[in-house]
Amino acid sequence: MAAAETPSAALRRRDLCSRGIRLAGKMRSDVADLLDVYVERQGLDASANVAALDGVPAAAAERWGEQTESQRLLDNLAAYRAFRALLTEMLEEQRDQAGPADTALREALAAVLLQVSAFAYHLEELLRLESRGPPGEEGARPPAGPRLGLGLFERKLRGLGVLRELAQWAVRSARDLRQLSKPGPGGTAAVPAGPAESQ
Amino acid sequence: MLALLLLCLRLLRAEPLAYPAVISPQDPTLLIGSSLTATCTVSADSRLRAEDLYWTLNGRRLPAASYAALGATTLSVALARLNGSKQQSGDNLVCHSRDGGILAGSCLYVGLPPEKPVNISCWSKNMKDLTCKWAPGTEGETFLHTNYTLKYKLRWYGRDNTCQEYHTAGPYSCHIPKDLALFTPYEIWVEASNRLGVAVSDVVMLDILDVVTTDPPADVHVSRVGDLEDQLSVRWSSPPALKDFLFQAKYQIQYRVEDSSEWKVVDDVGNQTSCRLAGLRPGTVYFVQVRCNPFGIYGSKKAGIWSDWSNPTAASTPRSERAAGGCEPKGGEQNTTLRRELKQFFGWVKKHAYGCSNLSIKLYDQWRVWLQKSHKTRNQVLPGDKL
Repeated sequence: MAAAETPSAALRRRDLCSRGIRLAGKMRSDVADLLDVYVERQGLDASANVAALDGVPAAAAERWGEQTESQRLLDNLAAYRAFRALLTEMLEEQRDQAGPADTALREALAAVLLQVSAFAYHLEELLRLESRGPPGEEGARPPAGPRLGLGLFERKLRGLGVLRELAQWAVRSARDLRQLSKPGPGGTAAVPAGPAESQ
Repeated sequence: MLALLLLCLRLLRAEPLAYPAVISPQDPTLLIGSSLTATCTVSADSRLRAEDLYWTLNGRRLPAASYAALGATTLSVALARLNGSKQQSGDNLVCHSRDGGILAGSCLYVGLPPEKPVNISCWSKNMKDLTCKWAPGTEGETFLHTNYTLKYKLRWYGRDNTCQEYHTAGPYSCHIPKDLALFTPYEIWVEASNRLGVAVSDVVMLDILDVVTTDPPADVHVSRVGDLEDQLSVRWSSPPALKDFLFQAKYQIQYRVEDSSEWKVVDDVGNQTSCRLAGLRPGTVYFVQVRCNPFGIYGSKKAGIWSDWSNPTAASTPRSERAAGGCEPKGGEQNTTLRRELKQFFGWVKKHAYGCSNLSIKLYDQWRVWLQKSHKTRNQVLPGDKL
C-alpha cells in the first residue's frame, strides 16, 4: 500500500497523520474536562463502574501491535462514526431534559462532537489515500431500539461510559496514527509525538 | 465487505444492558416535602438476597434504619420530607450490592410546579420582527427544568402561533423573525411547564407599531470645537432603516472619560442630529455614544423604545495652555480673571454682535474661539506676556 504511494500522496498522508495526532490529543484533553462537568451535573460518582455498553465501541484491543494499517484505520473510523451517533444522541437527550444551568455541559458536548466528526473526516481522507476509500456508513449507527426502554439513571451511566470509552479511544487513535506515520516501505517519515502520546 | 461487517459487529457489541435488579418507582416526580418508599428487587435466579443490598442517594449511603426487607429478594427504603433535587438531571437513587456494584438506579425529580411567568416585554427592530422577554416566577427553575413556550395570535381572529427561536436575547426570551402584521394588536403569553404542571402568564396585548426600536444612529463623529479645551462637537446620521417610515426620532448622548466607567447622559438633545458637549476636562480623551428613540410611527401614540447605544467614538479635548503650566490659579486670581474675561466679552459683543438680541451660548463659544486665537497671536508676538 505505502510502497505504491506517490511523493505527494506520502506528503498528504504524513500531514493528515500529523494533524490527526494533534487533534486526538486535543480531543483527549477536552473529553477529560467534559467528563468532569458531566459527572458533576449528573450527580454521579466519577469512579462508578460501568459495564460494557451496547453500541459503544470498546477501545481495548487484543493484538493491537499485529494490526495492519487498513485495519487500524477501519477500526478507528467505525469507532468514531459510532461515537458521532452516540454523542448526537446524548446532546439530544440533554436538550430535552436539561435546563439553562446545563448550558456549559451542552456546549462542551457539542464541541467534542465536532472534534469527533473532524477526526472521522481525517480518517476518511486517510482511507481515500488507500485504493478503496472509506466504507459506507450503514453499519455505523448504533441500534436505537434498546435505549428507548432505558431508565434515566441508566442513560446517565451510559453517557458516562460513552465519554470514558471515547477518552480511551483518543489515546489509542494517537498511537494508531503514530504507527501509520512510521517510516515504512513507502519511505514516509515519522511524525513528532502528539500530546495524547504522553498521556 | 464481509470483513468490514464482522469488524463492525465486533466493535458494536450487542450486549444488552443487563442490570440485575429493578427499582420501583422508576424516575418518579415528587413535590418538595413529600415522602417516598422505593424498592429494589433482584432477580430470583440471582445469588443476591435482600440483606446483601444497600441504598445510596446522590452517592451518600442511606442509613440501614430506613430499610425494610420485603421477602428474600426485595429491599425497600423510606425517604421522608424530600428536599428539592440537587441537580436538574434528577437525584440518583441507587441500589448497590454488598461490594459496591451498581445493581439499578432511579432518578428522583423533586420540586415545585412552575409559576406564572411575569413581566413580558416585547420590541420590534425596524418593524420587521418581534422579540419578547419575560421573567420566571419567584421560585424559577430552582429544582426542575422548566420549559417556556411563547405563544401569540392576532386579536379577534388569529389562530395560536408558537415562537420557535428561544434564548436570542437572554435565557427567557424568544424571537419571531417574520410574518408579523401591522395595525392589528397581538395577544402574547408565555406557558411554563415542568414535570409537575403548567402555568400560563397573563396575556399581553400590543401593536407592533407601539414597540418599535431601531438600529443605533450611524456615522457618529466627535470633533473638537476650534481650540476650546472644554468642548467637543458630536454629529450623527439618523438610523437608515427607518428613513422610509413616517416617524420622529429623539436622541440621547452619553459620554465618559477614558479612565472612568461612569457615563454622563445628555437627554435633552431632542430630534437634532448634532450636539455640543461642554464643561469637559481639557486634554482628555472622551468616549461618546448616541442612541435613538423612534416614536410616532404611522401615528402611534406610544413612547418609543430606545435603540442600543452606538459603538463608542473617541476624541480628545485640546490641552489647556493654563493647565499645562501645572498651576491652578488661586480663588482671588480666578475672580480677577473672570471679571477681566467678562469685560472683554461684553466689549467684543458690542463690536462684533451689535444688534443681535439673541445672546446664546453659541455666541459665547464664538467669542472664546476668538479669544483663544487672539491669545495665540499675542503669545507669538509677545511670548513673555501672560493671560
